Amino acid sequence: MPVITLPYRYLEELVGSDRATILARLPMFGADIERTENDHADVEFFANRPDLYSTEGVARALRGFMGIETGLPTYPVKRSGITFTVDPGLKNIRPYLGSAVIRNVSLDEESIVSLMGLQEALHWAVGRGRGKVAIGIHNLDPIIPPFHYLAADPSRSFIPLDFTRPMTLREILEEHPKGREYAHLVKDFPRYPLIVDAHNQVLSFPPIINGELTRVTTATRNLLLDTTGTDLRAVMTAVNIICTAFAEAGATIESVTIDDVEVPSLAPSTRRISTAACTNLLGLSLTGEEIASHLRSMRYGATASGTDEVVVQIPCYRADIMHDWDIYEDVAIAYGYERIVPALPPTSTIGSEHPVSRLLNAVRSIMTGLGSLEMMPFTLTNERVLFTSLQRERDPGVLPLMHPISEEHTVVRTAILPLLLEELTLNVHRALPQRLFAVGDVVEECVTHQTVAAVSMHSEANFSELYATMDALCRDLSLSYQVAVSEDPAFIEGRRGDILVNGKRAGVFGEIHPSVLLAFGLEQPVAALELDLRAVPGYPGRQDTP
Amino acid sequence: MMDLTLNEKRLLSVLGSGGRSSPEECASRLGTTVDAVIQHAHLLHERGLAVMDTAIEHHYHLTPEGKEYAAKGLPERQLLESIKGSVELATLSRNPLAPIAIGWMKRKGWVTIQKGMVTPTGKAPRGEDEEALLHPEQGGPGMPQLLKRGLATEEMVTTYTIAITREGTTYLSGGVDLTEEVGTLTRDLIVSGRWREVKLRRYRVETLPRRVFTGKSHPYHRLLDEMRQILLHMGFTEIYGDIVQSSYWNFDALFQPQDHPAREMQDTFYLDRFQPLPSGWEKVQETHICGGTTSSTGWGGTWSPRKAEQCVLRTHTTCHSIQHLARHPDPPVKVFTIGRVYRREAIDPTHLPEFEQLEGIVMDEGVNFRHLLGFLKEFYERMGFANVRFRPGYFPYTEPSVEPEVWVKGLGWVELGGAGIFREEVTEPFGIRHPVLAWGLGVSRLAMLKMGLHDLRQLYRSDVDWVREVPVYGSPRKGGD
Repeated sequence: MPVITLPYRYLEELVGSDRATILARLPMFGADIERTENDHADVEFFANRPDLYSTEGVARALRGFMGIETGLPTYPVKRSGITFTVDPGLKNIRPYLGSAVIRNVSLDEESIVSLMGLQEALHWAVGRGRGKVAIGIHNLDPIIPPFHYLAADPSRSFIPLDFTRPMTLREILEEHPKGREYAHLVKDFPRYPLIVDAHNQVLSFPPIINGELTRVTTATRNLLLDTTGTDLRAVMTAVNIICTAFAEAGATIESVTIDDVEVPSLAPSTRRISTAACTNLLGLSLTGEEIASHLRSMRYGATASGTDEVVVQIPCYRADIMHDWDIYEDVAIAYGYERIVPALPPTSTIGSEHPVSRLLNAVRSIMTGLGSLEMMPFTLTNERVLFTSLQRERDPGVLPLMHPISEEHTVVRTAILPLLLEELTLNVHRALPQRLFAVGDVVEECVTHQTVAAVSMHSEANFSELYATMDALCRDLSLSYQVAVSEDPAFIEGRRGDILVNGKRAGVFGEIHPSVLLAFGLEQPVAALELDLRAVPGYPGRQDTP
Repeated sequence: MMDLTLNEKRLLSVLGSGGRSSPEECASRLGTTVDAVIQHAHLLHERGLAVMDTAIEHHYHLTPEGKEYAAKGLPERQLLESIKGSVELATLSRNPLAPIAIGWMKRKGWVTIQKGMVTPTGKAPRGEDEEALLHPEQGGPGMPQLLKRGLATEEMVTTYTIAITREGTTYLSGGVDLTEEVGTLTRDLIVSGRWREVKLRRYRVETLPRRVFTGKSHPYHRLLDEMRQILLHMGFTEIYGDIVQSSYWNFDALFQPQDHPAREMQDTFYLDRFQPLPSGWEKVQETHICGGTTSSTGWGGTWSPRKAEQCVLRTHTTCHSIQHLARHPDPPVKVFTIGRVYRREAIDPTHLPEFEQLEGIVMDEGVNFRHLLGFLKEFYERMGFANVRFRPGYFPYTEPSVEPEVWVKGLGWVELGGAGIFREEVTEPFGIRHPVLAWGLGVSRLAMLKMGLHDLRQLYRSDVDWVREVPVYGSPRKGGD
C-alpha cells in the first residue's frame, strides 16, 4: 500500500493544527505511521483511499476528523472553453479520456516531487500499473487548443521526456526506459494512443511518456491534465482526486469539453442511507442527526431526513464508496473505534473439531508415544527433492507452480518423507538417535489429502525398527494391513515393504537406500515409513464439516 | 550423621583410627580393585573424612636397543675397544657400528681424527650415560641422554596415599554398620524376603541425571492447537478444505475484482488447472459488474468466467468460510479453520511463501460490529494478550473493517490479523441474509511473538534441539535453574 510523505510544515499549515496532535490522531483514522523524521512523516494509507495520497488530501480529511472544518468541501469549476476530441479509432485500444485545466498553480521543487508521488500512487492504486488509467500533467502555456486524442501510426515521432532527439513511438517502446517498462500495454495494437494540440505538436504518448514540450517546471503556472484509460469511472476518479488536491492547494479548476461533455464537474453524488440499517450493523445506538454529524466530520454532506433516513452527499474524490456499508464504516471511524464497547453476541452454538484434525492429532499422539519428535516442513518443494533424490519416478499428479519464485519451491509436495529427510540433513550435527515424524497435507492433482511420514536415524536404524513402529501405528489406528515386497527405489532392495490395505498399496517402509542418504548428505543409516491416511477406516474425506 | 555407602564405610574401617595406606593395600584387604578404592577415597575426600595425597614417580625402562647396549656396551665403547693404536678412518668405517659410534667417540673426546687417521686419546672414562644404562631404575643424570637416543623410555606413575582425617576418626569411633549392601533390587530378593536383610545401596541423589528427550509434538503445532481449543471452547465448529482452489472461491466469491493487484501472478501462485464454476456464478458476475441486487455500484468493467476457473494455491483460508456459508446460508453459523496459505513472496526471516492462517466467522441474525470486537477481544485475551485495541482497517471483502492490535511489552502495539463484516456484495449472491463477522490471523506472526523467534523459517525447518528443549507446558527454563 502506498506510503505518502507528509511534510510537517505544509501539513500543519493546511490542517491548522500541530504535528503532535496530528500524529496522535492519524492511527485512529486508519493510517499506519511508518516512520517520523525531523521535517516529515511517512504514512501508509489504505489501497481504497487514493484521495489520501497527497498532503492536501490528507489535510482535508484530517480537518474533518479533528473537527476543524467539517462537511462537504465544494470545488467551483469554470468553463475553460478548451475542447478535446477523441478519435473513435481508440475504441478498442484505450477509449476513455478525462481532462481539466488547472490555473494559478505555484510549484516549487518539493511540490513537483510530491505531485509526481501522487501520480505514481494513483497509477498503482487506481490505474493498476497504468493499464486501467494513466495520468499526464502538462504545462498548458506552450500548446494551442483544441487538443486531440488520436490513434496514431507507430512511426509518428516526437521528443519524449528526458530525451533531446525526436523518436518514433516504436523506438520509444524499445529504447526509452518508460517505454520498455510499459510497452506491454500498447505494443500489440496496430496504432498507439497519442495526444496532440491544434498544431499537431505532441503532448503525450499515453500510457507511456509525455513530450519534452510540456514539461512541468517551477516556472509553470497553468496545467493541462489528461487521464486516459480503459475504465471511464477510474479515469474520472483520477481527474477528481488530482483536481481537488490542486484546489486545496489554492489553484482554480476549469473544465474542458470532451466530445460535447464538460469535464470535470467535481460535484458530489447522493445516497440515502437507512439509520436503522446503519445502527444495526454497527451495534451503536445513534440518531439520524448523530449519524449525519459523524458523516460531516468525514467530509460528507449529510442531513437527517424523516425518521429513518440520512441524505448523504459523497465528495467526488471518494472512489471507495460503492455501497451503503462503506458509509456506515465512516460513521464508525468518526464515532471512534476506541469508543465502541465490545460485546459477545447471544449466538449459542456447540463447537466441534473436524474429523481430519482428530485423525491427525491421533497420529501425533501415537507417534510421540513411540518417542518420535514432530516436524512441520514446508509443503512447497521441488521435483529434485521429491523424486530425483529419492530415485523415484515423477508422480504424474504433481502440481507445478506456473510462476515459481525460487528453484527450491516449484511444486506442492505429493509426499512428506522427502521433506523429512531434508530435516535430517539440517540436523546432522545434533545428537542421535533422531526419530522424527511429520503429518499433514499433500496434494495430488487438485486434491488435498493427508499422510504421515517417519524417519529414524542412528547407527542401528533398520527395517525391524520401522516395521515395529509401522505396526504400532497401524494397530492404534485400527488399520489392518499386509506387507508385501516393495519395489520403491528409495529403499534398499530386500529391506523394504509395501503396506497393503485391502490389497491396495497405502504406504511403504524400510531402510533408505545409501544413494538416497548420500543425496541428502546423510552418513548414518535411516529407516523410514510413509502412510497414506486415506487408508484409515472411516477417513473423513474432503467434506469441510463433520 | 552422614550417609556413607557401604564401600566408603569399609574403606574407612580399613584405614582405622589415624591410619594411612596405599590403595593397593586397601584393595587387597577389601578384596576389590585399586580403581574402586581410589573412587571411594575421592568420595570420602569430598566429605572431609579422608585425604588422598598424590605423588608422581618417574619410572625408566630400557628399550630393546638399550638392553642390548647394557649387555655389550654402547656402540662407541664397543668400537673404541676394537681400535689398537691409530687406524684409517676408511677402514674403521667398514665396522657396522661405525655410523653411530664414530660421531659419539669424537664428541666424547675419546678419539681425534686427523688426515683420515683415527687415534684414541686414551681418555675414555665411563660416562653418566653408561652408568644410567646399567642402573636405569635410578634415573641418574645420564638418563636424559639415553631418552634422547631412544635407548630408554620414561613412565610417569601416580601413587596415592590415603589418610584418614580427624573427622574420619571421629566418625569411626561412633561405630560403623558394615551390613552388606546390594545395588539392585532383584525379583529374587523380593520374593525370597531377603530384601529385609540386605541393605540397598544409597544413591547420591544430588548427581545430575542423564538427559533424555520425550517424543513430542512440534512447539508450533502446540500453539496452533491452543488456538483450536480456544475456538472450540467458544463454540466454533472446525472446517477443513483443499489447498488448491479455483480463483472463483479464492477471489471472485469474495468480491475481489479481477484486476486487483493481489490477483496478479507476482503475488499469487497460479496453476495450469481449471475448475468448472458452481451453479449460481452468474450472480457473482453480476455483483462484480454492477452490484447485483445490493446497493453497490459494483466494480464496473467486465468479469471473465475463464479467469475465475483458474486454480491457485489458496492465498487465505477465507475461501473455506465462503464455501461453507454458500452451503449453509441459514443462521447461526460459527466456524473456523487453520491451514497453510500461499503468497508469492521471496523467503527472508519475516516472509515465507507459505504460512498458517487462522480464520473464524460468525453469522447470525442481529450480530453486529460490536460483537465482532467482542469475539476478537475474547480470543486475544485467551491467547494471553490482556490489552487489545481496534483501529480502522481495509480488506477488500469486509466493510466495516478493523485491525486488532495487542500490546506487547517492549514492542508496543502490534497488529495481529484483520477482521470485518463480509460485504453485502460477498454474501448476497449466496443468499446469506445476515451479517457475517469474519476475522483472519497470520499465525506465524503470533508464533514469533509467543516463542520469541526472530526467523520464521525456524518453524518449518526446525533445529531438532530446539524442538527437544521447548517445554510442553509453560515457558522455557534453563536446566539447573
